[in-house]
Amino acid sequence: MSVIKSEYNIEAKRLWRCHVCNDLHYGAAPPPVCPTCGAKRAFVLVDRDEAAKVLDNRGDPPFTKQGVIDAWKRFGDMGEEYKLVDDAEMVEGLVEGVLSNRNDHGLKYCPCRLTQGDFVSDLKLICPCNFQAQKTWTERRECWCGLFVGRNKQ
Amino acid sequence: MSGIGNRLIWFSGRECVHCKRIRPVVEQFQAETGNVITELEVWHSEDNAKVMRGYGDAIKKACGGDLGVPAFYNEKTGSVVCGVVTLEKLKAWASG
Repeated sequence: MSVIKSEYNIEAKRLWRCHVCNDLHYGAAPPPVCPTCGAKRAFVLVDRDEAAKVLDNRGDPPFTKQGVIDAWKRFGDMGEEYKLVDDAEMVEGLVEGVLSNRNDHGLKYCPCRLTQGDFVSDLKLICPCNFQAQKTWTERRECWCGLFVGRNKQ
Repeated sequence: MSGIGNRLIWFSGRECVHCKRIRPVVEQFQAETGNVITELEVWHSEDNAKVMRGYGDAIKKACGGDLGVPAFYNEKTGSVVCGVVTLEKLKAWASG
């Protein structure tokens, strides 16, 4: 898997809706194939109001501590080069940090790096971040917090 | 204790695992050298966060581009060390 290091342009991101099954996508371009229903070239540009109304109150409620850990585990299991660290105490400590930040600062920011006060710039601190672009990954095969580590790391 | 502008500062995060790990090193440093390191927790104190952001350029340079914790900032010299560091590195930072 190649590591994507380039900065993306948030201004280029738009909302897209699958006209077949109402999947929503936020990005510079729509997926060529809808990941839910399989329809090809199915996405149409929509505005935030329409997307919010399609979403309504659907989707999971805000994750509990276990919900976040389960999401991290699932994310780590999908990684070819990384996984969630095998240290339950460490995971437990970090999940409390991100949930504390969600509660106090609005998003699940990394508890090991401070926001800089610029909303767009701080989006890169939402956990999990793009840790494979970080120096700590290059040097030690781990994210800044040590939450996600290389698959061969103990 | 040193006054503002003359402090050895440890920027920490309450839930940061590396900050917990480095605490014994900080305590050993203080015991051996007699120097005080002022701990400023940045996620639960906006005042402390502002201090860290105020030294942001130097800290980001040392921390790979972000305001990482733990980060140690020497107000007298402007030197910074970032991450889990050894006692020797902490001593060198404090003196230089």
